[in-house]
Amino acid sequence: MDIRFEQVDFTYQPNTPFEQRALFDLNLTIEDGSYTAIVGHTGSGKSTLLQHLNALVKPTKGKVTIGDREIIPETNNKNLKPIRKKVGIVFQFPEAQLFEETVAKDIAFGPKNFSVSVEEAERLAAEMLDLVGLDASYLERSPFELSGGQMRRVAIAGVLAMEPEVLVLDEPTAGLDPQGRKEMMEMFQRLHEERGMTIVLVTHLMDDVANYANHVIVLEKGKIVKSGTPQEVFQNIQWLKEKQLGVPTAASFADKLMAKGVSFEELPLTAEALADDLLKDLQKAGDNL
Amino acid sequence: MMNKLIFGRYIPGDSFIHTMDPRAKLIASFYFIGIIFLANNWQTYGILAIFTLFAIFLSKVNIRFFIRGIKPLIWLILFTVALQMLFTQGGDVYFSWGIFTITEFGVVNGLFIFCRFVLIIFMSTLLTLTTPPLDLSDAIEYLLRPLKVVRFPVHEVSLMLSIALRFVPTLMDETEKIMNAQRARGVDFGEGNLIQKMKAVVPLLIPLFVSSFNRAEDLATAMEARGYQGGEGRTKYRVLHWHLKDTVVMLAFAVLTVILILIRS
Repeated sequence: MDIRFEQVDFTYQPNTPFEQRALFDLNLTIEDGSYTAIVGHTGSGKSTLLQHLNALVKPTKGKVTIGDREIIPETNNKNLKPIRKKVGIVFQFPEAQLFEETVAKDIAFGPKNFSVSVEEAERLAAEMLDLVGLDASYLERSPFELSGGQMRRVAIAGVLAMEPEVLVLDEPTAGLDPQGRKEMMEMFQRLHEERGMTIVLVTHLMDDVANYANHVIVLEKGKIVKSGTPQEVFQNIQWLKEKQLGVPTAASFADKLMAKGVSFEELPLTAEALADDLLKDLQKAGDNL
Repeated sequence: MMNKLIFGRYIPGDSFIHTMDPRAKLIASFYFIGIIFLANNWQTYGILAIFTLFAIFLSKVNIRFFIRGIKPLIWLILFTVALQMLFTQGGDVYFSWGIFTITEFGVVNGLFIFCRFVLIIFMSTLLTLTTPPLDLSDAIEYLLRPLKVVRFPVHEVSLMLSIALRFVPTLMDETEKIMNAQRARGVDFGEGNLIQKMKAVVPLLIPLFVSSFNRAEDLATAMEARGYQGGEGRTKYRVLHWHLKDTVVMLAFAVLTVILILIRS
């Protein structure tokens, strides 16, 4: 299911003294089965853009096409549920959305809202809890007695239980320890690879972008300033530094090596790519001995 | 949803009204609401209206804000005005149907009440639009000080007040966030019948309460860690200053009162 933005403008509190424009003439496509990363400063409009993806807000101008539904400013607020089921959003600090008595009920809450039968919802809850790495003993516990990291997992399971086709993640690993962060990112990667889920990731961590995404959109002040594959976007390290966006660790190290005379065919973005390139160089040097 | 709420918002500025002492503004607003009941004819209401408009002009805040402030209360105002019009007897009868009669006195009274509402809302909106909430709570603390004599916990109340004011926008943001998260999970707020609507609020209310508890705990710990031990022996960072212009405003109100008393019928 593709999501397409055509000349989308968005203004907060239009026609009031507090009017504030957040998005300017956005054109973008999130292709079916892609792993898109959206990066940009705080206040660049990432979260606003995110809310367009499942019609939580409607554009003030332009058109958003989600699958076969078109969302235009005049779209009625009714019957948006099918969209919400297809596009699941994990908001920042999703643990704040837990409310049920037990973990199982909370995870099943989403599916039940979309008229899934109770048995099916409970089955999904158990399956999703396993998927996010918690065992079945947690099902009957209260979500409020879990640790922060576990609550986060339950909240994410709650979104996954709706079995969305598109999964939108707003800094899903913020505030997690390195281990939890890695586990979580790998879980999303598995969902992407094994179930063909389309993933949209908003993050400040360029390493995650380089490691997982296959499409990057750079936002600045509500406008798209660059988009393309990670290779294309990260190619110009100077530009990234000027924009005060991070540079993937591997690319930044490779950049330093290049200053010392090492040359690469193309800028390595991940630790593996960097190691491979360096290994090739070393082998070449060895052969020449 | 909450964005429409103008009443209770602060708009930064540096006008005459903005730079007044918050105590003076608070006293003046309450005093104004008191003397509005002195007005009982066209002349007095006219003078009060001119006075209010002049104050709004001095604040350099767009009049649109004030008119917006009335919107949420418009039904209450119209209801009261309608009651006055329909049930007040006396003077020429313009229209009569069953127990409803529209009379001269009724119309006049209705219009007076309308003016009274609008003026009170304008003045209190002026207070909140031009005074940061923290200044207001400082002013309230100062003005409540005499109550210490009767063992009223002035410091505690004003602390609670300033914390509450500080967290209103934070809680509003949080409400909006949780609402969005639950909508994304398939909750329809404000749809269906009354019972469905009430049920839909549970996934919003529980997380809000839980996060408030957590926030309170964190805040209390942070305050204690920074050496807060209660109101005794604390010095003040924000000090209020009473300027000449505050006295001038008070005098203006005194003059206004005298004029009102002289020309009221």
